[in-house]
Amino acid sequence: MHRRITLAFVATLLVAGCGGAGNQGGSQGGGTAGAPPSTTGFDGTTIKLGVLSPLSGPVAVIGQPLTAGNKIWFDALNQRGGVAGKYKVELVQEDTLYKPDVTVQQYNKVKGNVVAFTQVLGTAPTLAVLPQLKTDKVLAAPASLDALWVREPNLLPVGGPYQIQVINALDHYLTEGGGSKDAKVCMMLQDDVYGEAGLQGLQYAAQKYGFTIANTQRYKTGTENFTGQIQALAGCQMVFLTATPTDAGKIWGTAAQAKFAPRWYAQSPAYAAAMAKSPITPYLQQTAIIVAEGTEWGDEKVSGMKDLVSRTTQFGPGQQPDYYLAFGYNQARAMTAVLEKAVQNGNLSRDGILNALNQLGKVSFDGLTDDYQYGPAETRNPPRSSTLFAVDPAKPFGLKTVKYNTSSDAARSFEFKKTG
Amino acid sequence: MTAFLQNCFAGLALGSTYALVALGFVVIFKSTGVINFAQGGLLALGAYLGYTFSNNLLLSFAVAILLACGAAALVGAGFERLVLRRMVGQPPFAVIMITIGLLFVLEPLITAIWGFDNHQVRNPWNINTVEVSGLVFGVKDLWTIGLTAAVVVGFFVFFRYSSLGLAMRVTAFDPEAALAQGISAKKVYAVSWAIAAALAALAGVAMAAGPGGLSPSIGFIALAAFPAMIVGGMDSPAGAVLGGVVIGLAEALTRGYQDQLFSWAGDNVSVIVPYLLMIVILLIRPYGLLGTKDVRRV
Amino acid sequence: MAKPHRDLVRDYRQDLRLFGSPPARAGLVAMVAALALLPMVVQDDFWLSVLIYVGITAVGAIGLNLLTGYCGQISLGHAFFIGAGAYVTGWVGSDLPLYLWLPTAALVGGLLGAVIGPFALRLRGHYLAIVTLGLVFIGEHLWRNWRGLTGGNSGTSVDAQVSLGPIDFNRVELAGEVYSRNQGYFWLVWVLVAIVALLVKNLVRTRPGRALQAVRDRDQAAEVIGVRAGRYKIGAFVVSSAIASVAGALFGSYQQFVSPDEWNLLLSIQYIAIVIVGGLGTVFGSILGAIFVGALPALIDRFGDAIPGVRTSVGGEGFISVFALNQAIFGVLIVLFLVFEPRGLAGIWLRIKAYFKSWPFSY
Repeated sequence: MHRRITLAFVATLLVAGCGGAGNQGGSQGGGTAGAPPSTTGFDGTTIKLGVLSPLSGPVAVIGQPLTAGNKIWFDALNQRGGVAGKYKVELVQEDTLYKPDVTVQQYNKVKGNVVAFTQVLGTAPTLAVLPQLKTDKVLAAPASLDALWVREPNLLPVGGPYQIQVINALDHYLTEGGGSKDAKVCMMLQDDVYGEAGLQGLQYAAQKYGFTIANTQRYKTGTENFTGQIQALAGCQMVFLTATPTDAGKIWGTAAQAKFAPRWYAQSPAYAAAMAKSPITPYLQQTAIIVAEGTEWGDEKVSGMKDLVSRTTQFGPGQQPDYYLAFGYNQARAMTAVLEKAVQNGNLSRDGILNALNQLGKVSFDGLTDDYQYGPAETRNPPRSSTLFAVDPAKPFGLKTVKYNTSSDAARSFEFKKTG
Repeated sequence: MTAFLQNCFAGLALGSTYALVALGFVVIFKSTGVINFAQGGLLALGAYLGYTFSNNLLLSFAVAILLACGAAALVGAGFERLVLRRMVGQPPFAVIMITIGLLFVLEPLITAIWGFDNHQVRNPWNINTVEVSGLVFGVKDLWTIGLTAAVVVGFFVFFRYSSLGLAMRVTAFDPEAALAQGISAKKVYAVSWAIAAALAALAGVAMAAGPGGLSPSIGFIALAAFPAMIVGGMDSPAGAVLGGVVIGLAEALTRGYQDQLFSWAGDNVSVIVPYLLMIVILLIRPYGLLGTKDVRRV
Repeated sequence: MAKPHRDLVRDYRQDLRLFGSPPARAGLVAMVAALALLPMVVQDDFWLSVLIYVGITAVGAIGLNLLTGYCGQISLGHAFFIGAGAYVTGWVGSDLPLYLWLPTAALVGGLLGAVIGPFALRLRGHYLAIVTLGLVFIGEHLWRNWRGLTGGNSGTSVDAQVSLGPIDFNRVELAGEVYSRNQGYFWLVWVLVAIVALLVKNLVRTRPGRALQAVRDRDQAAEVIGVRAGRYKIGAFVVSSAIASVAGALFGSYQQFVSPDEWNLLLSIQYIAIVIVGGLGTVFGSILGAIFVGALPALIDRFGDAIPGVRTSVGGEGFISVFALNQAIFGVLIVLFLVFEPRGLAGIWLRIKAYFKSWPFSY
């Protein structure tokens, strides 16, 4: 019996000796200037781009506007003719639930149909697909402001990383915000990788400006009662907050109840438009500064914002003003710059895309975020500037600019290292 | 001292929320022998219903709470009637799994109707406070504690003096004897589910009325209420309340003294304190503080 | 002399055979052939990666079924041991070859099980379930704070060697053909599924297996007839944890990156769902359950555009996202399924088998 099984097994192997897929990959194409030949994800007329984003689940509140931002940019681009005026862009959206394993599956699902990925949302999901991006030679734009991405050749980050935001916020606090080196500076952070990035920035600032972090409080997302943390922060003159809206609302609510009113500086994801029309609005108006990029929603003076608002009205009616929307929009713009370059080189293959990124110089975002110096991963230089906002219910997104595009020496000197 | 009392108050408020959820667990477990994993889903459903009644239909907050509890109770009883009644006599694992199935259905249903955005519930509590000799009490927390206390008193009155309450106690004690006495087990099961769902809804609306607002992840609190149920003893309503308060206080106090006393145990150790406490208590008393030791025969 | 009917069991040894009847043996050959051929026919990376995750889940589910299905101890702590396996692989996988890091992961998982088991198993039934639930949360705390091993919140990359002698599973070369990483991993994972399934199947048909089932059915009665219930419970816990660790090791090495967010209660619940949907106390059921739970969402996802009312893109038509629909369908299926077949998929399988066994006189 055993022998028969073995024989059958060997026989099946022999029959099946023609199913290798190991040599497939994106090395086709590769012509010189002229019309780029069709390749994976490009059929000669339409360029397909992948989007791996949590479109449902708790993080959908970020994934949905971000993806809408991607779409608004490309819809507007397509109306003008498309990449290089002739190639339309189509998005292939997949839901990742913000889970690394699902992201890997979805990546495998669409990688054979797309030229590149214009959005991969989340630090852990991005790290989970990074090894495969490298083997498959695929380019992806991560939708998180991690410093890790700057030196990765397969990634196309946009915007100033979280660390930069924190450093600029601290610079503002110490110069114009009424703080001094001897002030009691504290930190409250979400206990995950996003919180760690904020903490890293604060530690760098502490070392650069010579102050000490008096107290660091961590909390787990979904914490119901923040009394303990707020009490522990008592006496702090300035608290930097790295949080997401639901928790931030509770934190500020608890602080307002406890009559604890330090100067709050909060990273952009902590804020949601609903906060400008809630019971904590007066408290936030007095105490909070939100550090982000670009300008306030609807600011006609900044040309990028003017376009964004008119395009959102046209292509995304019903979309609420949102940072994530602007972020997705910027991502799509950076990806378009890469595609234009690749078309110019006449090569939209995977190698061609990576090559185009290496040749890419400075990309401007018309004031929505500062210029990003692309090129080979080692020489890239992300924006070093941030914008500080105060809460103002009269504004469309509830934020008014306090200081536009400010950039500190410390932020400029921050060095980005390659991931280990 | 102020800090200590303030932490105790926070613990009490947190513990009251745990107690409400744990009470729901116990009511169902006691009468049907099932752990209801869908309690968090029912809590979220109740909270969103309360939001709709309060914000969209512009009812007064008290009416919104009552309606939310009533609607959730209907859902709970309906689920028992439609699905769980068919499972009487089936292995308990299968029944537990069905409650997990219900949780999986409720979550996407809620997000399909109300979306993922954060909502602010219109309510009279907000972040108002009452100050007494240096201590600050949040109005919302006071109401949560008060409502829990009222529910607990109502519970004991119900079980002790009403005939339905008596029927539920009897069914829990010996289903067959209860049937022989003409007590309808069907009615008892349906009522238990309705009560549990209403309790969950109450906890949900109370939570959503805070400054954090309402988001789909509100149901996660049910996980933290598991230890409360276990610490008190799974079949003891009084135990659930006691367990809730003990767990709430332990969590708040650990959190309050994290920097002074618990920094060696890693950041944020208060998150796991409920579970550690639960394990310690179970090692000493395997049936919880007030649970009954079941007599096992060969 | 006329031969007895193929299904007639004449002595004890026949009853104990792993694959007794000729149809079962034929089925086995067909299954092996199908697994060997599948990656060559289905070259699509999406389906391969779905099936790889399914295989990894099947390994873990077989381990849980040994504890829950055969020994009757419900554990919600499986995610903890899976996480442990993944981190061990991240730690030793780059230095040790495949045939060493996989057993190391199993060993560590088993040791953890041996340390935790005696405490946890003092409790029974629902109490045990909730205490093991606590293990998941305590584990998560550990993973977030033990930065040296786990990379803390930032997660850690897992760079494990996956070659066995001349075969490198990242790039299998066979008869002049080169097979991709997904194809190679498919074979690696499913061979391990087969090995673990055989091990457990072998375990449960022998003396310890019967002892476990006696403990499950009534532990005091088992004690009376001389089965050391406590010892067997702990044994089952240890083996189950070791298998969970193997699943975690495979998970980590395939995904190449793991973070503490992954080893949460939902993962444990998913495993419980697999074991119950598949059927308690059947090895084959665990594999069926893993396929059901892992492949069904992928199927709905793949064909989501064809279902009316489903929104597959932001700003698109429809009111419910693919995943939300997916989860709802999954929930409804679990409910319907257990209402009509509380014994799970394996129960349906047995029914079909019973029908054909007595065919054409089935009634």
